[in-house]
Amino acid sequence: MCETCGCGLPEEAKQAHEHDHGHEHSHREEAELYRSLLAANEAQARENRGHLMEHGVLAVNLMSSPGSGKTSLIEAVAKAVEGRLRIGVIEGDLATDRDAARIKALGVPVWQITTGSTCHLDAPMVHRALHELPLAGMDLLFVENVGNLVCPGLYDLGCHLNGVLLSVTEGDDKVAKYPVVFRHAQFFCLTKTDLLPHVVFDAAKPKREARILKGDIKTFELSARTGEGVGGFLAYLESERRALVG
Amino acid sequence: MHEWSLAMSLIEEAGAEARRRGALKVHSITVRVGALTGVVPELLGRAYEVARTGTIFEGADLHLHVEPARASCPTCGEESEFDDFYLVCPSCGGIGLRPMSGEGLVLTRMDIEIPEEDEKNATDARRQGDDR
Repeated sequence: MCETCGCGLPEEAKQAHEHDHGHEHSHREEAELYRSLLAANEAQARENRGHLMEHGVLAVNLMSSPGSGKTSLIEAVAKAVEGRLRIGVIEGDLATDRDAARIKALGVPVWQITTGSTCHLDAPMVHRALHELPLAGMDLLFVENVGNLVCPGLYDLGCHLNGVLLSVTEGDDKVAKYPVVFRHAQFFCLTKTDLLPHVVFDAAKPKREARILKGDIKTFELSARTGEGVGGFLAYLESERRALVG
Repeated sequence: MHEWSLAMSLIEEAGAEARRRGALKVHSITVRVGALTGVVPELLGRAYEVARTGTIFEGADLHLHVEPARASCPTCGEESEFDDFYLVCPSCGGIGLRPMSGEGLVLTRMDIEIPEEDEKNATDARRQGDDR
């Protein structure tokens, strides 16, 4: 607050003062900046990513509509790597710990984040969850985001890979409708392929649209129920992990 | 999407910058909105009008500029600008383009009133005296 002319004081105090001397004690300046509106989340995400890498953990963020098969895919991977790779899971939901209970039943370390009304996970939430997991003994961490194809796309969690799932029962015209979440992703899994004989779904269409939105996105087709395609997806994750931790 | 929480983040980031520079008043702030962020400038503007209440930004205009996505086609090499997400080369119809811009949400400018040097030193000295 300026004690000379009262700028910064409430209106009634300003009016009581005479402004015949101008504002010689201050000047106007245009400051050029570069501050991201998401700076706070981005800083925490960078810290998460570094922390995970120090422990040799490849972290994977899974995003999709509710019911596309995120938890089922994690279960299928957990069974496929048993005895070979150690995995951990962070579950994100508005309410219940149903997904965490499924993972826990497999003997996999898991932490449930219950967001209340927040429609996506963010880096600070993941940071708190990382403290609750035995990272020292882990190779691969899945973060199952809140079921939502819109909001998670804007928030870096600090994972090394982000992926979108779309099941063959959701329609082959959905990818172009959700561009932000696909722009955020390094991979895209078409899930529940065992149901293809029962639905009208041209797999080439969503795969092409995903490449239009995100030029270097990797696409997979799989069924967690039959195991078809899970091996190929796992090979991709293991290759990424080797590239990360050496 | 999330224009309200982005407006709150804008107030926080801009507020930290205003404090860092010792701003007495803010005339305007400028934000660059990447075309690939999915943020609707009009909604962000409206959210800002509410979020700035009771802050140093209450009288400050918000200028929003949309930054298009620039990308070159891996098939024909042609570089094009896009203001939406459908990155198909207008020359050859090629896909798999990787944009070099259009992804950020960035505070790029603040038009502020700052104290003159000797007035600032006096204010700093008073502030240090208060701290003791």
